[in-house]
Formats: sequence, C-alpha cells, structure tokens
Amino acid sequence: MKKSILLSFLIVALVGAFLIGLSTNVIAAKIRVGGMMDTTGATSDVGKDYAIGMAEAFKYINEQGGVNGKQIKYTWFDYGYRIPEAITKYKLLKRLKSVAIMGWGTGDTEALSPTVNKDKIPYVSASYSAHLTDPAKSRYNLFFSSDYSTNARAAITAWFDKKWPSKPDYGKRKPRFACCYMFASPYCSAPIKAIKDQAKMLGFEIGPDQDVSLFALDTKSQIMALKEFKPDLLWHGNTTMSVSATIRDAYALGLNTDWIVDNWGFDENLPRLAGDAAEGVMGATPCAFFGQNYKNMDIVVKMAKKYNPGIPLEKRLIRTVQAWGDALITWEALKRADKAGDLSGPGIMTKGFETMRNFDIGLGASPISFTATDHRPTTGCLIQEWKNGKFQVVERVDLKKRWPEKWAKEWLGW
Amino acid sequence: MSNVWLPCGDYHQNYSDDQGWWQSRFIKGKMILLLAVVFVAIPVLAPDYWVGVATMVGYTAMGALGVQLLIGYAGLLTLGHAAFIAVGAYTSTLLVLQFPWPHVFLNWGLAYPLSILAGGLAAGLWSVLFGLPCVKVKGFYLILTTMAAQFITVDFVLTQYVSQIGGRGQAFSLPPGTIKIGPWVVDNDFEVYYLMAILLTLMVIVLANLLRSKVGRAWVAIRDNDIAAGALGINIVWYKLLAFFVAGFMAGVAGAFWVSNTAALSPEHFPWFWSLWLVGVILIGGVGSIQGAIFGSIFMVVIMELLQIAVLPLSDYFPKLLMDFAYIKDMAFGLAICGFLIYEPNGLAYRWWQAKNYFNLWPFSY
Repeated sequence: MKKSILLSFLIVALVGAFLIGLSTNVIAAKIRVGGMMDTTGATSDVGKDYAIGMAEAFKYINEQGGVNGKQIKYTWFDYGYRIPEAITKYKLLKRLKSVAIMGWGTGDTEALSPTVNKDKIPYVSASYSAHLTDPAKSRYNLFFSSDYSTNARAAITAWFDKKWPSKPDYGKRKPRFACCYMFASPYCSAPIKAIKDQAKMLGFEIGPDQDVSLFALDTKSQIMALKEFKPDLLWHGNTTMSVSATIRDAYALGLNTDWIVDNWGFDENLPRLAGDAAEGVMGATPCAFFGQNYKNMDIVVKMAKKYNPGIPLEKRLIRTVQAWGDALITWEALKRADKAGDLSGPGIMTKGFETMRNFDIGLGASPISFTATDHRPTTGCLIQEWKNGKFQVVERVDLKKRWPEKWAKEWLGW
Repeated sequence: MSNVWLPCGDYHQNYSDDQGWWQSRFIKGKMILLLAVVFVAIPVLAPDYWVGVATMVGYTAMGALGVQLLIGYAGLLTLGHAAFIAVGAYTSTLLVLQFPWPHVFLNWGLAYPLSILAGGLAAGLWSVLFGLPCVKVKGFYLILTTMAAQFITVDFVLTQYVSQIGGRGQAFSLPPGTIKIGPWVVDNDFEVYYLMAILLTLMVIVLANLLRSKVGRAWVAIRDNDIAAGALGINIVWYKLLAFFVAGFMAGVAGAFWVSNTAALSPEHFPWFWSLWLVGVILIGGVGSIQGAIFGSIFMVVIMELLQIAVLPLSDYFPKLLMDFAYIKDMAFGLAICGFLIYEPNGLAYRWWQAKNYFNLWPFSY
C-alpha cells in the first residue's frame, strides 16, 4: 500500500513537472537563447569551465538590461559530446523557440550545420573549425575566435619566425614537423590540412601524423615513433588533458622538440598537469587568460565570484573568457537586430552579426568582423608560450597582412 | 466462428494458423490503425520536435532489431553493433559523394536508394567477417570479438583510412538535395521521419517473415541448444553467419538512413556506447521479441526526453540539474536496466503479451 502511494506520488510529481516544463515554453517578453555544452563527455576537461562561464555571462547580460530591455532566458543542456544526443537537444531547443544557440564541439556543430542553415538559427559555437567560416556553405555558423586553421597557421609561423632562427641547425637543413591529434575527432583533424599547407609553404619537412586519443593518458608508443623522425616542432591538436599527457611522455622519453598547441589544449591547467615539460610550449590564444589585465576582465572575474563562489578563482580557466567572447558577440548581435526590429534568424545575421566591423569584446581577443561573404572573425591570432611560470607573448601573427592574396582567395573555409 | 474476433483461449490447430499474420479482421484493423498512427497521426498531429524524437526512436529500433536478431533469436551476444551501422553509413555516404553515377541515375534519384542497399550489403558482409569467430567461441568470448569489431572498424579502418577518401578530413557533409529517392528530396524532419517509417516497417516485415520460416526456426533452435540443433541436422555455422549477415544488413540500412537525418558524418557518430545502448534497449524491451526492440526504443528515447522536459522548469532553481543531466540520464539508463532485470526480466514485450492475453481470454482471464 505504502509502495503504491509512493509510486503514485512520484508519477504525479513527474507529470506535474512535465506539464510545468511544457508551460515554461511560453515566456512572455523574454528572448530564449539555447545552449549545448559538454560537461561530462570527451571534452569536458575544457567544456565544464566554458559552460559555467557561458551561464555567468548571460546572467551578467540580464543584469545589464538584457537585449534592449528584454531579458534573455538561457536554457542549456549537457549533451556529453554525443552526436545523436546533440541532434535531439538541438531539436528541443528549436521547439523552445530559441532565437540563437550557443553550441560546443566540432563534430556536432558540423553535423548540425546543414540543419541550422535550413532552420536559419544563428549557431554560435565553441568549435572554431574553419569549415564553418564560409557563409556560402554554413551561413548561420559563427564564433568570436580566430578559427583553428588560422590558429595553426599562426602558431607554426610564429615558431618559424621566432624560434627556428635560434636553433643550431638553422640554415643547414629544413625544419622537421609532425602532428599529434585524435584522427577520429573532427575538432582535432579540422586544421591539419591547413597547417600542413602552411608548413609546406614555409619549407618544413613533414613527418608522419600520430594518433593520440582525447582520453589518452599514455602516449609512449607515439613518442617512440616520433623519435625516429626527430621533429623540431610538433603540433598538438587535442584538449588539455591529452596534450599534457603527450608533452609529459615526450619530456620523460627525451624527445627533444618544441610544441605548438591548438587553443583548446593550451590553458592554465597545462603547466599544472605537465609540470616542467610545459616549459616553452607555445599555443594559440583566442583571448586573454582568466584574470589577465584587460578592459572587461574585472567583470568576468566579478561574475565568477558572484555566481559560482564555490569554485576558487585560481581554478578558473581561459575557457570562461572564451565563453564570454561568444556570449558578448551574441548579445551585441541581438541588440543590433532588435534595434532594427528584426529578431528573426536572418535578421540577427544580417542586421546583427554581419554588421560587426572590428568589434572589440575587451577581453584580449582580436577585433571581430563578419560579412555576408566571410565569417572568419579575425585575421590572425596571438601566440603565447609558457615560460618562467607565466604565459608570455611570442607574436601576434596577422595572416591577412602577411599573405593578403592567399587570405582573400585561397584560405576561406578550410 | 466469427472472422472478426478469435475464439477465447488457445485456438490454433496447426503451425500455419499459429504463425498467420491476418488471423482475424480485428487484427487486420489493429494493424491498419497502427500504420495510420505511424504514417498519418504522428507526422500530422505531432509538433516538429516530437516528430524528431519519433525519428530517433525509429533509428534506435532499426539498430536494435539487428541486436535482437543476434542476441534474442540466435543467442549470439554482441557488443559491437555500432560498427556495422557505421559501415552502412560510410558506404552510403561515399557512394553518394564519390561514385561516378551515370546522369540518368542521378536524375531519377536512384543513387541514394541504391546506396542504402549497398550500405546494407557492405555492413552485412563486414558483420559476417566479425561473426566468423562464433564458429569457435560463444558467450563472453564472442562479446569480446564483437567489441573488437567496434574498435577495428570505427577507430581504425573508418577513422584512419575511409575518412581520408576525397580529402574532406574527418567530417563528411552532404550538400542539400543529395538525399533523393526518385523525385522525392528528403530534406526536412517530416520527410526524414517518413523515410524512417518506411524502412523500419520493411525491416520489421522482413525480420518477422524470416523468423517464421525455416531460417527463423533454425536460429531459435541454435539459441536454445546449439548441440541439439546440430544433432537435428541444422548447419550451425551457416545459420550463425546468416544471422550476422542479416543483422549487419539491417544495421547498414540504419546507418544509411542516419545520414539522411544529419546530412553529415564523422566517426564520432558511432561510439561504442551506442552498441551498449542498443543492448540495453532490447533488455528493457524484451529479449527474443520484435516488439521488444521497438518498445525498448520507445522507452529509452521517449522516457529520456520526458525526463529532460520534466527537469527543465526545475533548472531555474537547481541549475546543476541541467548541467548534470547527462549523468542523470546515464543513471536512469543503468537503473532502468537493473530494474527490468530484477522486476521484469522478460521486458516490456512480455507485459504487452500479458495484456493481449488478458483480453484474448476475457472474460475468463484468471
């Protein structure tokens, strides 16, 4: 008897919550923005901080009056980096009438790109794949950062400019270069074609790629294979956890090489996890590290303290700042589109995002521009290195300035 | 005897009566009603989102049918079915994108339907390859060989080699209008749903027919006792490999269908977790029952979506609920399997059978 009463209570509670859930779909005078984050899956080592940062950013935006007085209802889900899950989540967010969606990984963003374009919903992702920057193919995909291919081209160029000349073999032979990344991951493999193209252009000898899983904790076999090639420079295209495992193994096995790392593998956790092996590692940085001295950083730090006091500030990462970057461009686009009286998907694109020219988010990112024919937000990337216990600037590489022809005619969309 | 209702109780006098599909007008009416719900009511009445959920149910059921055939009917344990779905998806996508189809095939919209068949065949043959160890091993050892299928196929062959074809990198994308069947371009949620409904219906019909034929009886005999089946003259190796082929074929068709839903493809679409999930589906739905695969799919997809919608209003007060929803979902998946194994090991299909029996025996159902 007691069991059945308990069961009935549970069913009533679930049905009640379900009905309330349905009723919350109708929100007066609020703008719904959806989110799909990875806080439990393969990329959760960087995804959790991003998700928290994104939620804080939208709370701040609402504190500032939202979109011209209209509050934003930010509804987000963890999809655990599972593509089928991402597709159902996207459909739910569409059903909830989200005017824009804050997305996450390359696999799901690229998988959803055709659908997003069909549905005309601006999709601001944490995937900076260059495949998403050609509006002719993916009109509704956006992000605030330099794309992965730009990061990769800039990183190898910065090493070639600043590090190679100081090597003993400089001028005697070609520098040797190879890539470590998870072959199966669209995120990791997205810039490989571009970085090899850049390496070829700069005169590198290119060695065999090494497959390193995003979950890798031991990469000794890959390092042993690389020792035969004796690379001067290695690109790592994974996230922080597996990047630090690889760098540590290379250090332990005496692979004497320099590292350049994509932005999702280069954060405050890298020196914590890799220790001495992280010394001299260079990486692409789409914006300032958490707490660095930039115009709007005090707001980011203040909101982190206010809304997540349980997380010590020293544990917060550049991922929070990246989330703010995506949130701030979305806010700006929504404000501009709303002012123009058109908060539809096409309206947000043409009257919002695509009116941005050299927009500064005030968080150390390069100025952001979008046009109807080019969604590469920036023309270059800041390359930093971990040296003497802190991140230091190596070079800000502006690809458009150095190779204007190639930038304009060749490099869009890959 | 009325031809509308069947008489009360155990009424079959021979095997063909027992296995007949249209045993009464009531059953015919019931099936017509079911088809009307699937092909008319859901797409017409359900909102877009629920049509999308129904499509996911169908995709899950397509995969689960193959797992059901292997585990539930042939007694061949598998934990690598996502690999065969992946083979179908990649075969179909590569054929559509890379194969030099004659213009007439493209104009008449034959490329994609033929690629579905090719995807099924490729996945079927690939499945047979990994089914070969079943000649020598069974039980836990067979599970390990099927798991090897997952890692060799998805992580090695597809990722390292197949994905490089055409120089697109890991992610394949199909341009709009590519998924075309005759004059019908499949490019929105409703069309994808209809494609799913047609394919799933065909798969259920084919599997149900196979199961009531000599082949199906051989599979069941092997499942119940392979030594005894061998002693009866059943060619065990042949029928086990045939089970792998048919299950792989269905997985391949499911994979080829999946491409129409996403218009994009990467190895990440087919994680090992999906193989495990499909086994969970048949455990909950009921092992050894076609309805079980479908009930399990409905349960696993729809209940999880309802759970998510129920959690939504609470997220304003407990934001961590949404952040941790994937954990909640995995926990619910684990709990559901434990719950069913303990309290209803025969799954939802058994409950359905009990309900049907109750009415068949009514008013003497005690």
